[in-house]
Amino acid sequence: MISKRAGAWAVAAILVTTVSWTLSGQSGPVTSERLLRADQEPGNWLMYSGAYNGWRFSRLNQITSQNVKNLRVKWLFQGRHLEKFETTPLVVDGIMYLTRPENAIYALDAVTGRQLWMYEHRNPERTFNCCGRVNRGLAILGTTLFMNTLDMHVIAVDAKSGREIWKTKMFDHTAAGGYAAPGAPLVVKDKLIVGMAGGERGVSGFLDAYDPKTGQRLWRFNTIPQPGEPNFGTWAGDSWKTGGASTWNTGSYDPDTNTLFWGTSNPWPDYYDDMRAGDNLYSASVLALDPDTGALKWYYQFTPHDVHDWDATQNPVLVDTEYLGQTRKVLAWPNRNGFFYLIDRTNGKFLSAKAFVKQTWNDGFDYENNGRPIVRPGTEPTPEGNDTVWPGIDGGSNWMAHSYSPLTRLLYVFAREERRVYTKNEVRHPTTEPGGPPNPMQAFNRGRGPRFAPEESWGKAIAIDPPTGNIKWEHRVVSPPWGGLMSTAGNVVFGGTLEGVIFALDATTGERLWTFASNGAVYGSAISYLADGKQFVSIPAGDILVTFGLD
Amino acid sequence: MRRILSLCCCAGALTIAVSAQAPQNPSLAGVELSAPIPDTNPFSSDADIQAGEALFQTHCSYCHGSFGEGGRGADLTSGIYRRGGRDPELYASIRNGIPGSEMAPVRVTDDEVWKMVAFVKRLGSQGLLEKAPGDSEAGRLVYQKRGCATCHSIGREGGSLGPDLTDIGRRRGLKFLTESLVTPESDIPIRYRGLQVVLKSGQTVTGIRLNRDDLSIQLRDTRDNLRSFLMDNVREVRYDKPSLMPSYSAMDRKDLDDVVAYLNSLKGEQ
Repeated sequence: MISKRAGAWAVAAILVTTVSWTLSGQSGPVTSERLLRADQEPGNWLMYSGAYNGWRFSRLNQITSQNVKNLRVKWLFQGRHLEKFETTPLVVDGIMYLTRPENAIYALDAVTGRQLWMYEHRNPERTFNCCGRVNRGLAILGTTLFMNTLDMHVIAVDAKSGREIWKTKMFDHTAAGGYAAPGAPLVVKDKLIVGMAGGERGVSGFLDAYDPKTGQRLWRFNTIPQPGEPNFGTWAGDSWKTGGASTWNTGSYDPDTNTLFWGTSNPWPDYYDDMRAGDNLYSASVLALDPDTGALKWYYQFTPHDVHDWDATQNPVLVDTEYLGQTRKVLAWPNRNGFFYLIDRTNGKFLSAKAFVKQTWNDGFDYENNGRPIVRPGTEPTPEGNDTVWPGIDGGSNWMAHSYSPLTRLLYVFAREERRVYTKNEVRHPTTEPGGPPNPMQAFNRGRGPRFAPEESWGKAIAIDPPTGNIKWEHRVVSPPWGGLMSTAGNVVFGGTLEGVIFALDATTGERLWTFASNGAVYGSAISYLADGKQFVSIPAGDILVTFGLD
Repeated sequence: MRRILSLCCCAGALTIAVSAQAPQNPSLAGVELSAPIPDTNPFSSDADIQAGEALFQTHCSYCHGSFGEGGRGADLTSGIYRRGGRDPELYASIRNGIPGSEMAPVRVTDDEVWKMVAFVKRLGSQGLLEKAPGDSEAGRLVYQKRGCATCHSIGREGGSLGPDLTDIGRRRGLKFLTESLVTPESDIPIRYRGLQVVLKSGQTVTGIRLNRDDLSIQLRDTRDNLRSFLMDNVREVRYDKPSLMPSYSAMDRKDLDDVVAYLNSLKGEQ
């Protein structure tokens, strides 16, 4: 017979053995080959969208539409920060890595949520983010984590120790109206791809590639063509110098065609377009780039000469689907302008577009001109305020993640039905011209705010059939959401509302199967992973990351 | 096992830093300003206020509402500012933004910041510019007799179904006050809009909305009770009778002027 104390030690030893196994990193470094096959490792969450295809789909199926009603909270991570919590964690072999605002990285035991280490980058007091001092997540290659910062650094941190390996300044964050980098970077092969924000601040957009080992910049693609480059003449006068077209969300990658897809933001100034006549390329577009060189293969501009702040910065979703009797490699793209697009991702050819929310700005698409939208007259912002235009300023979709399930072959979109008033106020040209006003500039012009009753706007989780654009089911929620969706092989779609209701829907029917009242606004998207052999689901709500599991 | 223990020790030694940030130098990026902030606003003429309104619509209304009524950002019509209501304090909030909030620095010229300060201050002090013609003491008696305090409060006295009136005479002008009595439905703050919760049992409960999500709804009913209903038990939420306040259009003209004068006399504590 052993003593109680010895028994306790024996139990502790067993637990430690288990945890030790969990944390031991049995699969080794996260190589670029592992990233290519990320969907074959459903126990891990290796990049922002889960895999290069942008699906945010988990092949795990312990949690199903049958048993999801038994889901319960397993642990909480307390962010202890006032900013919106927009992160997508990574999970690698039992360890969760997440960012907490503004630019801190935490490593947690994914079974218990207990902290292993923390790294913090301190930003200067003034940063020039449009919408909160937020961060959306990390990338990993080998045993190195990568994070962008609000003051325009890219940082490499050792995943074992939390020690900084290198730190590179991308750009002067105080230039023009101010630059920031809140998005999650993306590793493609031997390069780290990093975007930037500032479309509301008169910046000049770009997308960068860095050497993950050294932090040396390998290429920069200017999202606004420079003098001598093709499409340079799509901005009147000098407006190209301050045209925005930032790259603030995360892109996707197609290894079959070796193409990087990345969306761009609105042109600047958002609603005042008098000085920027022209299509304003490559704003509000998807760019198809060669990740090795940064060379542009093709582009498609969803909203030429945008005046409604309809960024095309959604995460690109890569789907192979039947279209008019042929299998086509497409981008399935629910754009902020309210239309769901199919674009042939091998060549940029417009295939179709169908509204997924109420829209009043578009009278069709010019098929002779690769799907250029036909804009309805009278839908531009006015000095008095134009309240006739749907979708609203924040769009039918925005940056929240969409999810595609290869099992149901449906694309899940958490869409916004919303009214706003579009007001055009004169914005001074920033001072890139000799003799212009001194440096101060008007940064951004977001139009008049809402003065509508809450029930005039709402949200809806919808399932779109990509080939047709038809909406198969709809689950309505009280408010236009800011969180995204994740679908799983258990036939479940997870998401959360602005009021903090975390929900599970039946992926086939849209029926609500389970809810949890977190009472903290959800500004992020769920992930799922395996730790200690069990499936977990994590989602940020308020300043907390909530992790659920079955018993 | 040793590895695990050492990891735990590291974790314990780390602290979580929540940034408490000091007021910032009111300079634009790349431009150093040496002049101190003056104590009083050098730009407060009517023309400056008008220019400030245009700037406000451009830079502020998205969060603070076109009328300053609030939304994502704070209500600016209350005349109460958490970061201070003195001219240099408002100037600093606009110029530097508010750390820990979504309010970013507003990048306009210094003169334009002052014009915005002038407009924001006007938002919270419409009533200070006007003198009501009626008899405010007589108006106080009409206010009592009509039972206004059932729904409205002044200081600590009164109900919570309608807006607090403690400082309404500072915040609102005479035209607005008169209109609120005669046609109360013409401008109802969203949080005081009436709604009807129709239950599956057939009962209807009227009140103002306190909160709502997809699972439940909370309201203050017309008897000032706090109520909560699971949406599973609710058939419908109706918003078609938004004003809980009766119209006083039939009120004697003198009584009306007197009540307006009484309301105009309520300046709150300054």
